[in-house]
Amino acid sequence: MPRRAVENWKRKFIILTFILILAMLISLNLGYAQIPVTKILGIMAERVAPFLNLRYSDASETEKSIVMDLRLPRILGGALIGLGLSTAGVVFQGVFRNPMADPYVIGVSSGAALGAALAIVLNIGFTVFGVNTLSVMAFLFSLTAVFIVFNLARTGPKVPVTTLLLSGLAVSIMFSAFISFLQLISGWELHRLVYWMMGGLSGIQWADLKSATPLIIGGVVGVYLYSRDLNIMTLSEEEAQHLGVNVERSKKILLALGSLITAASVSISGLIGFVGLIIPHLTRIMVGPDHRALTPASIMTGAIFLVSCDSLARFILAPIELPVGLVTSLTGAPFFLYLLRKRGKGYRM
Amino acid sequence: MVTLSIMGVECRYASVKILENVTFQAEAGELIGVLGPNGAGKTTLLKTISGVLKPNGGVVYVDGRELNRMGVKEVARNIAVVPQDPQTTFNFTAMEIVLMGRNPHMSRLQLESPKDVQLALSSMRLAGVEHLADRMMDEISGGERRLIMIARALAQEPRILLLDEPTLHLDIANQIKVMELLRELCGKRGLLVIAVLHDFNLAARYCDKLLLLSGGRIQATGTPEEALTRENLSHVFGVQVYVKRHEMTNSIYIVPVSASGGKERLRKSLRVHVICGGGTGASLLKALSDQGYETSAGVLNVLDTDYEAAQQVGAEVAVEAPFSPITSAAHRRNIELIKRADIIIVTEFMIGKGNLKNLEAAIEGAKMRKPVVLIGSLGLKQDFTGGIGEKMLRTLKRRGALQAHSGDEALNIVSSLALKK
Repeated sequence: MPRRAVENWKRKFIILTFILILAMLISLNLGYAQIPVTKILGIMAERVAPFLNLRYSDASETEKSIVMDLRLPRILGGALIGLGLSTAGVVFQGVFRNPMADPYVIGVSSGAALGAALAIVLNIGFTVFGVNTLSVMAFLFSLTAVFIVFNLARTGPKVPVTTLLLSGLAVSIMFSAFISFLQLISGWELHRLVYWMMGGLSGIQWADLKSATPLIIGGVVGVYLYSRDLNIMTLSEEEAQHLGVNVERSKKILLALGSLITAASVSISGLIGFVGLIIPHLTRIMVGPDHRALTPASIMTGAIFLVSCDSLARFILAPIELPVGLVTSLTGAPFFLYLLRKRGKGYRM
Repeated sequence: MVTLSIMGVECRYASVKILENVTFQAEAGELIGVLGPNGAGKTTLLKTISGVLKPNGGVVYVDGRELNRMGVKEVARNIAVVPQDPQTTFNFTAMEIVLMGRNPHMSRLQLESPKDVQLALSSMRLAGVEHLADRMMDEISGGERRLIMIARALAQEPRILLLDEPTLHLDIANQIKVMELLRELCGKRGLLVIAVLHDFNLAARYCDKLLLLSGGRIQATGTPEEALTRENLSHVFGVQVYVKRHEMTNSIYIVPVSASGGKERLRKSLRVHVICGGGTGASLLKALSDQGYETSAGVLNVLDTDYEAAQQVGAEVAVEAPFSPITSAAHRRNIELIKRADIIIVTEFMIGKGNLKNLEAAIEGAKMRKPVVLIGSLGLKQDFTGGIGEKMLRTLKRRGALQAHSGDEALNIVSSLALKK
């Protein structure tokens, strides 16, 4: 019986999980305040199981606050967004049958940017469920943008894939124009928007995680359930229908889930680029194109990648923090090119 | 026993009718070939039968149930399609591709069971591509990829199999392999197979029924003998053909006439009589006919291939029963034809005691002052009469017969003689 990648992914998945935990611990260790790993573990153990009344650490309140309120949320956020964006990348590359597709291709990024720009410029200052306005505005506007793109591309019950891409492009350009206009008329908050658009994990709080996690995890689980459909849809839509896939319905569900995941991620972290584009390719090299193995592997790899990039972002020019999006692009691209060449006979997507 | 019923199907694209009033029935165990010129609507017809395209008019029934009312998975469990050109964006192995054929039988959360894998393997074995299971699709040649697509379709366990030009771009061995596989699927496994084919002869040899499509309408249906007639093929494809039956396969086969044989041929006023036999005259008769000359031939026995050729071009023939020497009746008829002809051509047929009279007839023609063209060298190889035939050929030369070294040369002589008239 021939071996299939999809049967071996569990082992790779476990290995990846260990690597992720390692990456997170390293990240927790980094920072201006020097807190050893054992103390970090102790602080977390104490918070997680207070009833055990363990006294592993004699950490100060400051140290506890640094770990629990500053570092942990951003690192968990990094893992969450990493796994979300890479899953979205897998979805969009599969649905569009295009290795160049990324999560921002049907308008999520420009919608979110417009929402953020409006929030900054209009200086609205209230919170929704403890989540700040900027995030809410970014989320709402990104989904609106997708909605517009979708309906512009639709002809009857069908949504042709090429039209979607073009429609996404057109709407992105239009929204970018709006953003430029906003930037023009409000010179002073400019740098805040620019920084937000570069993407960063520093602002992430527990409230953000509480609202984003169910959306992202829910979306990812949904995508995994449609793995086999995704496999078949990468052939061609006509063949997929011949093989019993309800193409239009699966397409809409997958695009909706992908957009939801991306919108939730972008709303709390800004536009982190490159993760959604490259991680799926990286994992395809590792486990093959079967989405039943590709999705779980991409989740882990994406999380590891973003957490590591964040560590790097904080470490390289310490105590200055680089925007994470910068680091993902600067490290990801050369590493991927190296992998591409190493694979020899050319990476067939 | 599955039955497929297409009733009055009509497909439009904007205001253009791609299919119009298409009606036919088919049942399990039949191998049906769909033939037609480019743009006839063959692919559209397949798409309508597979359910991908909903017709603007008419209904497709599978076992009495409307196809368009069935769910996607149910359709896929009954009907499988082998695409002409499979796209592969991402690099799956052949096994993974064939396993996708099990999708219609699997629920969302299921992983392929050992039974599914076994079925996929046996489908690949049937299509002859089991050895390619672990190879990447992009490393596999076009022809083998086609066979893998067939394996995938078989993995669906369908009752109806649709194929769009399955032999396109395949080498001859693979073409035969595919057609024999389809025949076996119909015969042994009771599938209903409908294939769009572009090769008349494969279609004639393997299909039970043929559908000739042109301009979106069915122009002819029936067995290969019934559907592939000179008239039908001329009407549907606009070509002149010869329809013959092959002794060894017992199926008919089609030979297209050369390009110069169009619908309107220049009728030349010259009549050429060809004395031949044993296959030496067939191509000459055809060439003369193509160029518009009226032809006759004799004496030929009814089993001679030259006789068949003469029939095909509509030449008048002096016939004789097989295995008998030329009788005086046949000889008289031959002379009659020679009298009516303007030019006589004698091919290099084997001369035996039984057909010496043919040379006599030629000499008569020379006596009548008709131009005689002799093809070939002077009969040293042809003569089995111990010299008599050779003597007669020399007589012909003496009486002014023109020597041609080939059929082409003979044709040139004929056309120069025609100019003189």
